[in-house]
Order: sequence, then structure tokens, then C-alpha cells
Amino acid sequence: MTVTSAPTIQRNGLLARLHGRAGRGWLVVPTIAFLLAVLILPLILIGFYSVNLMTNLIGVPTEFSLRYWEDFLPPGSNPFWDRFQTSMVITLLVSVAAVIAAYPIAYYLSFVARRRRYTLLLLILAPFFTSYLLRVIAWKVILANNGVINSALWQLGLRDHGDGVTWLIYSWFSVALVLFYTWVPFVALPIYVVLENMDTRLLEAAQDLGAGRLKTFLRVTLPLSLPGVIAAFVFVLIPTTGEFIAPLLVGGPQSYMFGNTIQGFFSDSPNWNYGAVLAVWLIAIVLVLVLLFGRFLSTDLRESKAPA
Amino acid sequence: MTAAASRLGGRLLGGYFLLFAIFLYAPLVVLVIFSFDDSQIQTLPYAGFTLRWFRAVFSNGDLIASVQRSAVIALFTALGATLLGLITAVAMTAHKLALRGIVVALVLLPLVIPYIVLAVGLLILLNTLGLRQTLWAVLLGHIAVSVPYCLLIILPRLRTIDQAIVDAARDLGAGAWVAFRRITLPLIVPALLSSAIIAFTISFDEFAIASFLVPAGKETLPVYIYSGSRTPALQPQVIAIGAMVVVASLLVVTAAEFFRARAERRLRV
Repeated sequence: MTVTSAPTIQRNGLLARLHGRAGRGWLVVPTIAFLLAVLILPLILIGFYSVNLMTNLIGVPTEFSLRYWEDFLPPGSNPFWDRFQTSMVITLLVSVAAVIAAYPIAYYLSFVARRRRYTLLLLILAPFFTSYLLRVIAWKVILANNGVINSALWQLGLRDHGDGVTWLIYSWFSVALVLFYTWVPFVALPIYVVLENMDTRLLEAAQDLGAGRLKTFLRVTLPLSLPGVIAAFVFVLIPTTGEFIAPLLVGGPQSYMFGNTIQGFFSDSPNWNYGAVLAVWLIAIVLVLVLLFGRFLSTDLRESKAPA
Repeated sequence: MTAAASRLGGRLLGGYFLLFAIFLYAPLVVLVIFSFDDSQIQTLPYAGFTLRWFRAVFSNGDLIASVQRSAVIALFTALGATLLGLITAVAMTAHKLALRGIVVALVLLPLVIPYIVLAVGLLILLNTLGLRQTLWAVLLGHIAVSVPYCLLIILPRLRTIDQAIVDAARDLGAGAWVAFRRITLPLIVPALLSSAIIAFTISFDEFAIASFLVPAGKETLPVYIYSGSRTPALQPQVIAIGAMVVVASLLVVTAAEFFRARAERRLRV
């Protein structure tokens, strides 16, 4: 019996230690409580508003009703739905354009830039950490009717003074350009990470076997980098889906996005019930995107320990 | 050159990179250039150099007050979000964490929920509680959206700590708290600083949530900048303060990265 005592003590020590680490789990409680109050409870209230269990309209009885939903669904019969569709098309175009534009940057950083790569990566990412609002305002200065581009055209005599290019601002072009500008540096990051971790011996092997550089890229590099490409795509898609700031500043009522419609129902013409329906719809779209593409995003947090 | 790019290909990519960098910095440069432009309207030809818009900024009491509000909210966001990020990160290193999947999903949720939804949700919450718009709500919203970033900065650093050092401290009689404070905490100071800087930046620049929740007359800087950008008389001042904020952010980002890299190198040695 005494023979087993030493290992038992050791195991008890280990158990105690394990218990200590398990005990830390309770430290999530404040964060969870905070997020339940500040995030989940408001989402539930939005849900209540969307089915008329609550309302901000005076004299309207609160009872469960899907009438606000019926005004939004079925598709194709109302202005909100049109706005939603146009908005999603812009979002998709911007996301695809940003990924295509950022890919060569990521490629350059991982395969050509060599030692300067971290400095150059920081150079690309730094504007992303400056105020979003101010970057949009800077574009407004560039694109405005008498802004930098138009007045430069006048100075160069390419257009008559006062005759600006009309689609430069308050148009879908300006909204898309600003969204593209905002997200394109951030998009380079996940692609860069994938390329950086790629086994370059595979590329050498492809070339030893007779593939040219183009073929190597198309058959080896590109397919292997797809997870990063998809992650990058989702990185733009999700935040731009609910966008409303860029359209407010460089767009016009004709180029407002879905987010602006929601904003309108909570500010200019308050009807929180309609606003809540559109907000629930927006969350649903975003959650579907996350469920579809979530596995391409980081799974780092699911493990308790980093792999050795 | 390498298997990935020929010499010519490398040059072409380099040229593209240069154009891309110019595209990214051009609007920021435009903002700075026109902050010195001696004209009410930002247009070419350049009207000449002036500092009057900066003088106007510093004598604009409303604007200065909005900077102070934003700075205070950003400071408390940095503290609150870093603290919540830290304790969450420590909890995540536990071997057993009940409902880990749900906890992770909840903590990362603010990354994907559109800010407009968070904003109207908080507005509805205030209304339900019978409260008016308040800067406290702005602070809570800013902490909520910053926590995931703080967690994603602190957790990887926490995981690189050799558990054996902590175990050694425990074996030598240190309690869990003492071991954490004397061993773990000093090792993650750089990550905590990065986390605080990121949270500060997020809050200081945040417009969407603040625009719904600030009380009238108590604008934060982004809300002031937004309304100023739609008022022709204020536009030059908006551009001047904008130029200052942009330059300051770029300096902070560069400095933060510099110190982080240096600290990491030291810790590795």
C-alpha cells in the first residue's frame, strides 16, 4: 500500500494544480455578465420591437404582431427590400475588388519584400488605425464638386471651370470607392498570413516538375492561399453590410445603404418597430455569413493552449 | 530570383505596392495640406499658407470640450476593456472552461454585429430603463466593442508563457494570485499596453455608437467632427483638427509597434 503513496501524492499535486487552472474559468463571469447586459439584452429588446411587443409609437397597443415583418417580407414589394438588394450588391462588389487589389500586395510582402516586409506591412496597415470618419472626410475634400480632382481638372484646362464630374461624389461610385479604400489594407493581412506560412518547397517542386511561374501560381499558390482569400473577403463583407457612415458623407439619398434606412427609422422619422425589423434582418444576414465562413476565420480561441 | 516571382515580376509588384501606398496615404496628405490652406473652401489653386484654422481650433471651446470628453471616454474604455480582456484571457487558459464555445462566441460577437445595431440596441435599452442619452452609455458601448480586440492581443501573449515558471512559483509556495502578479503579469505588460492603446484608439475614433447615444450639447469629438463637416463655416476647423488627429494616430501606431517589437525582442533574449 505504501508503495503507491508517492505517485498518489504526485497525482494529488497535479490534480490540485489542474484544479487551480480550472478554477480560473470563473474569471469569464464579469465579462459574460457585462456582455449579456450591454449586448444581448439590447438585441433581445430589438427583437421585441420587431414583433410589436414594445413600441415607441404613442397610442399603438403593444401585442405580438408580425405586421412590421409583413411590410418588409415578402421580397420585391417595398422600397426597403430594394435598398437592401442594392446595398448587398455594392457590398459584394467592394469585397471582391478589395480582395483582388490586396492579393498582389500580400504576395509582394511575403515573396519579394523579404527583410523589409514587417515595416512595409505596418506602412500599409497604419492608415487603418487612423479615424475612419476623418478618412471619409478627406475623400470628401478630394471628390467634392469643387474639390481636389475637379478643381485640378479646371486648372489643367481639361474641363470648363465650374463643370465638375458629377458622378465623383454623392454617387454609388464615391460610396464604393471610400468603402474599398477603408478596407483594402486590412484585407491584405489574412492573405499575407496564409502566403507567409506556405511551404515554399511546394513552389520549387512544381517548377522542378516543369511548371512555369504562372502555372505554379495558378495550380499551387492560389489554391493553397484560398482560405486566406476567403477570410479576407469576409473581413470586408461583414463590416460593410451594416455600413451607414460613408453614404452619409460622400453618398446622397440615392446612394444610401441599408444601414442608412435603419438609422432613418431611429432618428429622422422615428418608427423603432420598422427599424427593429430591419436591424434583426441585418443581424440574421451577418450571422449567416459568419456561419458560412466562420471556419475560415481564426479558430485560435477554441483551444485552451497553444500547440507546441 | 525565387520560385514565386521573376526579377521583372518582382519589380512590377514593387511598382504596384508603391502605387497602392500612394493611394492609401493620398487622402491623409490632402487633409494635412488643406489644413494649412488660407481658404474657406478646399479647392485648387492653393490659396496660400496659414495657421489660422489651427488657431481657430484652439479657441473653439465646443471643439476643445468634445476632445476632452472623447479623451476621458477613451481612457476609461482602455482601462475597462483591457481589464475585461485580461481576465477573460486568463479564464481561457483554464483547462476546463464550461461552455467554452458559447463563451468564445459571445466575447467575439461585437466583432461581427454591425455598430448600427449595437447603437440602436443601446438606445432602446436606455429608453426601456427610462434613461436619457448619456455619455455612460457611449462608454459601455465602446468597452463592449473593444473587449474582443483586447482579448485577441492579450491571449496569444499569455499562451507563450512557459507554464513551468508559474508552476515553479506555486511549488515554492506562492498562491495563485501572487504567482500571477509576480510572474505572469510582468511578462504580459507589453501586450496590456498594446491592448490599452488599441482600445483607446477605437473609442477615440468611434462615431456610429456615439452618434446615437451622446446627449445634445455633449458631443464627443467624432460627433462634433461629423456635424462640423456638414457646416461650411466649421469645415476648415474640422480639417485642421482632423490633420492633427491623423498625424497623432500615425505616430502612436508607429511608436506602439516600435516598443512592442523591442519589448518582445528583449523578452525573448
